[in-house]
Amino acid sequence: MGTVVTIDVYTTGGQADGEIAAQLATARAVLQRADAVFSTWNPHSPVSRLRRGEITCSQAPEEVRDVLERCATARELSGGWFDPWAMPGGVDPTGYVKGWAAQRALGAFRAGSISGVLVNAAGDIASFGGLGGGQPFKIGIADPASPRRLAAVVCLTGAIATSGTYERGDHLIDPHSGRPAARAASASVTGPDLGLADALATAVAVAGPSGLALIEALDGYEALVITGDGTLRWTERFPFAGGP
Amino acid sequence: MRRTPIVVTATVAGLAGVLVFHTTPARLNLGSPSTPLEPAQNPSPDPAASQPDSAASTSPASTSPASTNSGGSKPGGTKTADGPVVNYNYGNLSVSVTVSGGKITKVGIASLDDFGDARSEEIDQESIPILEQQAVQAQSAGIQGVSGASYTSQGFEQSLQAALRTLGV
Repeated sequence: MGTVVTIDVYTTGGQADGEIAAQLATARAVLQRADAVFSTWNPHSPVSRLRRGEITCSQAPEEVRDVLERCATARELSGGWFDPWAMPGGVDPTGYVKGWAAQRALGAFRAGSISGVLVNAAGDIASFGGLGGGQPFKIGIADPASPRRLAAVVCLTGAIATSGTYERGDHLIDPHSGRPAARAASASVTGPDLGLADALATAVAVAGPSGLALIEALDGYEALVITGDGTLRWTERFPFAGGP
Repeated sequence: MRRTPIVVTATVAGLAGVLVFHTTPARLNLGSPSTPLEPAQNPSPDPAASQPDSAASTSPASTSPASTNSGGSKPGGTKTADGPVVNYNYGNLSVSVTVSGGKITKVGIASLDDFGDARSEEIDQESIPILEQQAVQAQSAGIQGVSGASYTSQGFEQSLQAALRTLGV
């Protein structure tokens, strides 16, 4: 994937350091495995071979079938706006895999002496817990017009993913037209599962503000859209920290 | 006495999968052979979230890329390579990667040309953190991460990949 992932573990003092190190090692192994299977940069990965038609789905590792099934579900839930089969070059689940892998890496950690964990895969973040003492994690959403400024801050329970033109340039494809398109400068989706949030963020970035209705209908998921003129629109319960 | 959370940050490159441990401000001994750390001390009782230490902040990389490895670096050997200059959303950049003992220990921006774009002027190349998010974070006390606006555009990843291949990782 070529993505650098940061894992932040928040603990209270005096705990089993060896345990945390072991969990970090497991998380790393999960990410390495995902990269080995799904990387489209690596011409020998099973997904690269699948895209070239050298292997069939049934010959690919089980994770590939699992991910493609989840992608199909995400395609349905996103009203077709997220569609890895509409990508040039063959099916490309990359938009889903980054979040999916980070969410699985999070699964390597157990609470106990850990008050919270953030797995941050280039802006797609999976989390559990918080800072400790009931304080939630706070995550900034970058201003698409100005990369070093924040457009909003949210209280994070679970995951957040952001997709947008500034992030991927021309690479958001409108599955309905087959051409590059984006109707939002940036779209952020929060919810329990990062893989799905990732796919939905991509979908809403392409669909624009009309995609918000889609997310309103999904239990547990909220969205924020920033259009090219800098206007913010959001679903009713989008978890702003201290109000929009 | 209320204890303040200790933050351990591990950076994992999806490609070569190596951990770089940042600690703030107390240090944990995690027993990792590649990064010996001091024993934990009580952190100061500051209720604001600690910001991750830029322990792995990169200095501008040298312009000469490392020689090609024949498959795996020598244990303990450290090499840095810059990937090619590629276009990203606000200009051109190249990525620098440092590998030590066959593992990635640093990723950063080697060169950045924003064509004089005023809004990029304040980018500090001495401490450009991975994915720019940590810089925004550092400027904004009280948040633990940033979603979006990372420079992991395809351009960044291309340059990173090329640098890693040069190092034989």
